[in-house]
Amino acid sequence: MSVAAKAPLTRRVARWLDKRLGAADFARSALNKVFPDQWSFMLGELALYCFLILIVTGVYLTFFFHPSPTQVIYQGSYAPMRGVRVSEAYQSALDISFDVRAGLVMRQIHHWAALLFNAAIVVHLARVFFTGAFRRPREINWMIGVTLLILAVFNGFAGYSLLDDQLSGTGLRIAYSIALSIPVVGTWITSLLFGGEFPGADIIQRLYVIHILLLPALITVLLSAHLFLVVRHKHTQFAGPGREEFNVVGERMWPTYASKALGLFFLTAAVVCFLGGLVQINPIWVFGPFNPAEVSAASQPDWYMGWLDGALRIMPGWEIRAFGFEIPNPFFPGVLLATVTFVLLYLWPFLEARVTRDFAEHHIADRPRQRPVRTALGAATLSFYSVLFFGAASDVIASQFGLSVNAVLWTFRIAVFVLPPIVATFTYRLCKELCERDGVPIDSPVRFRDIGPRLLRRRESVV
Amino acid sequence: MPDVPRDARAGAETAAAVCFGLSTLAAIALAVVYWRGGNTQAEGGLLAVVTGGIGVGIIVWAKEAMPQDEVTEERPSVASSEEEVEAFAADFEAGKEELGRRRLLFGLAASAFAAFGAALLFPIRSLGPRPGKGLKTTPYANAPIRVVTEEGKPVTPSDLSVDGVITVWPEGYVDAPDAPTLLIHYREDQDFRPRPGRDDWTVDDIVAYSKLCTHVGCPVGLYQASSGLLLCPCHQSTFAALDGAQPIFGPAARALPQLPLGLNDHGELIARGDFSGPVGPGFWDRDR
Amino acid sequence: MRALSPHRQTFGVVAVVFALTGVVLATIGGRAAAQSSSNDDLVAEGRALYNTGCVSCHGPDGQGVVTADGEERGPSLETAGEAGAYYQLATGRMPLNDPHDEPVRKRPAYDDHEIQALVAYVATLGNGPALPQIDLQGADVAAGGELFRANCAPCHSASGAGGALSYGAAAPPLSHAQPLQVAAAVRSGPGQMPVFGPDVFDDEQLRDLAAYVEYLRHPHDPGGVPIGRTGPVPEGFVAWFFGMGALVAFVAWIGTRAPLRRRRSSEGAPDA
Repeated sequence: MSVAAKAPLTRRVARWLDKRLGAADFARSALNKVFPDQWSFMLGELALYCFLILIVTGVYLTFFFHPSPTQVIYQGSYAPMRGVRVSEAYQSALDISFDVRAGLVMRQIHHWAALLFNAAIVVHLARVFFTGAFRRPREINWMIGVTLLILAVFNGFAGYSLLDDQLSGTGLRIAYSIALSIPVVGTWITSLLFGGEFPGADIIQRLYVIHILLLPALITVLLSAHLFLVVRHKHTQFAGPGREEFNVVGERMWPTYASKALGLFFLTAAVVCFLGGLVQINPIWVFGPFNPAEVSAASQPDWYMGWLDGALRIMPGWEIRAFGFEIPNPFFPGVLLATVTFVLLYLWPFLEARVTRDFAEHHIADRPRQRPVRTALGAATLSFYSVLFFGAASDVIASQFGLSVNAVLWTFRIAVFVLPPIVATFTYRLCKELCERDGVPIDSPVRFRDIGPRLLRRRESVV
Repeated sequence: MPDVPRDARAGAETAAAVCFGLSTLAAIALAVVYWRGGNTQAEGGLLAVVTGGIGVGIIVWAKEAMPQDEVTEERPSVASSEEEVEAFAADFEAGKEELGRRRLLFGLAASAFAAFGAALLFPIRSLGPRPGKGLKTTPYANAPIRVVTEEGKPVTPSDLSVDGVITVWPEGYVDAPDAPTLLIHYREDQDFRPRPGRDDWTVDDIVAYSKLCTHVGCPVGLYQASSGLLLCPCHQSTFAALDGAQPIFGPAARALPQLPLGLNDHGELIARGDFSGPVGPGFWDRDR
Repeated sequence: MRALSPHRQTFGVVAVVFALTGVVLATIGGRAAAQSSSNDDLVAEGRALYNTGCVSCHGPDGQGVVTADGEERGPSLETAGEAGAYYQLATGRMPLNDPHDEPVRKRPAYDDHEIQALVAYVATLGNGPALPQIDLQGADVAAGGELFRANCAPCHSASGAGGALSYGAAAPPLSHAQPLQVAAAVRSGPGQMPVFGPDVFDDEQLRDLAAYVEYLRHPHDPGGVPIGRTGPVPEGFVAWFFGMGALVAFVAWIGTRAPLRRRRSSEGAPDA
């Protein structure tokens, strides 16, 4: 044994781990991984950080929440509810809010983080869409991402429905009825899911398992796959000096990029903590416990379900009835629209490739203005869903601005068809003008009129 | 490799230090707040300072005081070489051939797997009962039966003022989620038109409809007395209470089912039968 | 002083007793007469006020006014009663300048005494609901909450913020509603509101309900800024504008901008 000074700590730890994992080489490449640090590439991380915060706060909440429909008499510290018959689930939520120290701030951080989780996913999805980062080789990752969006929406809905308050119970009733409207199997699906007719005695317990175990586990697995693919493919980058299809230019992971990522995590936490402490969310003590015979004005789902609720509201009262069978009204905006939405989302990379006849590998991100057709279609789609989102607030808008709710709904009925083409035209023109102004060439392999024929593989018009 | 000028670094490092210091203080304050009984606004605000301080500190440090060099890394095409894919395919085919030699065995194995998969689905059936008559009938099927308030009190026509509305249930079934019923006392001067065959379904200008909206099942809680309209707050379906609760606006496509009212010997309101149709939202075989 | 004879003394005492009794009776009787005459005075005062401020739309005996075109200028007050009159006057909804205007809460045009007088007068016009006495002492706020959520929340929302009704009508917010006004509204069903009579809510339940509405005017907001207490709509706006706004701002601060204003794309088109 020499009398030389012991090796520095890092080396000792590295050697100890390497002797057991053999990961030195991999770890080194991880440290040196290059990430383009363009700001819009960090939007997905926001969702990841919100998810981590949801897990931490969520675990804390599980220690106090009782997912039981058993009726009890509330006797906690919220006086205006004392003596009222409520479910244990609702009572435990009130206890968390009023009688567990730091319970309310945890609950509110959790709920705000859920709203931001979904918002960040949507903003991230929009960025990926408008920069064409779903093209080969990233189609699978795109589909994983869309699945993550669906899971996030469902998990949020399951989460806030656990509390068995009047508002979320109303939402659960609506979800039950939408599922009921599915032809042939609707009555079976609802009976199996709810354990009978609405509301049944099992739904809270089942939603609990779905919310804390099944969906988070699925999300974690898919999120890991999603991140793995990003690392495997390396991130896209915008065109620029030194940036080519087959390189990636940016910052090294260690220490700079990792620090920025860590810093962003803390900043995300700061925003949700600020909201969680200072802005009240989901005041279930005002809404009261769920009663299927009661309802409040201004009943909306959380924002990320708003497009579905808006669609339900603006749909006219049409049903299909024949031979004693019927396809009830909620099926069309509730099931059909949702299915079409997500099928189109899933298939988009393949549809675009088919239409543009571009099956090459792409690692350079498009600037949206250079792809006016895709950007216009994306903007029009966003405007379509925005109308639906605002439609969900129809009664609040009418009430706030002193308008007739019927007039508001008619406005949305018209807007949902009229606004998207206007937005598409405007966006298309805007893209072209911006490109001209910047002297940037337009990379538009297809005109609007080519889309139909190319999708259907017909010979395109020779014009 | 562009190096950050020393004073910029010093400035940034000071700023970061201040942030970390603030964060530490806030964490201590947070502990004190918690120990003293807690306060949601203080907890959230201090947590925001704790995390925000760390976050801003790290970012300032990373942006201003860490190397900002731009590095280039090779990005080989994702696709493997033709040979590698060929080799994989060849190995896979070789193995497949082995399985393919015993077609029958492979087929039997496949069907065993499929049967196992199908068998695993059967316990799902235990999750809930077969959907039955429950969706098409309510406890009013036990008619004649008194209608009662949520407290179980019977209702006489004089209990309900003109322009009044009250929610009732069949006696003994006040918890039944499909049975809430609206009793509405319309005014004489309102133009009430009974549906065909339902002339005797009202008592003393009191009409009864199911409270569950035929759209997606929310309780139709709003009665606009002057206009005789029932409005569902969820999606704004509007029903004409004076005209068989027909939907006149909104997504509901069917009228609210009506309950045939009568009077018993004590002058109390009773239901003489179940609703005129299945209550609540529609489903595939609702009309069968 | 020469003493009175025993007969005179007795007579004197009896006379004094009678006199005193007479004075007392006169006083009481006088007060009662003053009250009934004061009620009559009140009604008379009310009638006078009515004939100045209300008769043009509601008619000389409160029977309502229908114009030549068949349009109703003002409804009949036969069923308004004390409760209806009190509600409309105390919340300033009446008098209405133009019958086409939507009655909204504003500063009452009459002071408390004048309102009392008008209420007394309108009560004589028909058989409308009486104005209940509301004393919030001993009210059960929790029971009131249950009644509120069961009967009032569908129109006025669970937080009392008000709500939209069909075709432009609205259930007003309850943030300025005094307990007696609440009771009056519940008993008289103003506008589109249904009537909830004493057999639906007895006076005790009405008191509890009024107490809960009073609570809703200054409720607990332990979670922070209440942003309306109506739920997901304002919450969604805050999440997007404040939450995502802050996060995207941070991201923009941390990340770099892609080099813009390139004069050629990476595909190699030459400079213009």
